[in-house]
Amino acid sequence: MNPKTLRTSVVAAFCVAAPMAAFAADGAAPAGNAAEGAQKVQMCQGCHGIPGWRTAFPEVYSVPKIAGQHAAYLEKALHEYKDGERSHPSMRAIAASLSDRDIANLAAYYGQTGLAATVR
Amino acid sequence: MMNVRILISIAVLAAAVASLPAQAADVAAGAAKVKEVCAACHGQDGNSANADYPRLAGQHRDYLAKALRDYKSGARKNAIMGGMTAALTRDDIDSVAAYYASLPPVVNSRY
Repeated sequence: MNPKTLRTSVVAAFCVAAPMAAFAADGAAPAGNAAEGAQKVQMCQGCHGIPGWRTAFPEVYSVPKIAGQHAAYLEKALHEYKDGERSHPSMRAIAASLSDRDIANLAAYYGQTGLAATVR
Repeated sequence: MMNVRILISIAVLAAAVASLPAQAADVAAGAAKVKEVCAACHGQDGNSANADYPRLAGQHRDYLAKALRDYKSGARKNAIMGGMTAALTRDDIDSVAAYYASLPPVVNSRY
């Protein structure tokens, strides 16, 4: 094995092992990374970041509060939108653009944002 | 003209006053219904311990009511919630939503 191949192998092994280690450390908690999720919230804030904001189509009602919701529930909801099991035009379009990892990260971010506020 | 304005003002005030006790009754009726139907999973306080079940305390009343209506109609599909909402009347839905919306959330977030 030449040094370059060896280096590639080490890097590859780390890339696989690091997320696994993070997952193991969290135990049953979702594997999402809240800090990474924070990089993606721009697309959520236009509706979920404005107090009292209401949907416009197809039915008018208040956009749900999601900060402090269980991360596992948020993750499930986003997957349901992405898979088309839950229908809301904007949420389906947004969830379709998210990878599984984005979804886990966003769920962790919103779950943790709330928890951090409680602890304070 | 003045009389019409006064009459309108009185009507608006009367409507506002009349809606206050109605809202309180909704919350009380909702508390009873929640105890019977929802509390086992979502908690009587609306802050479920199990992460599979969403926290409902402090959620918007109209969003909660819409979710319940959608489960009942089948627009939103969930085996558990479909069954739970089947027996709820329109009034039950409104009062359950009013009750959970009135509770303090674990996290006091406006979002």
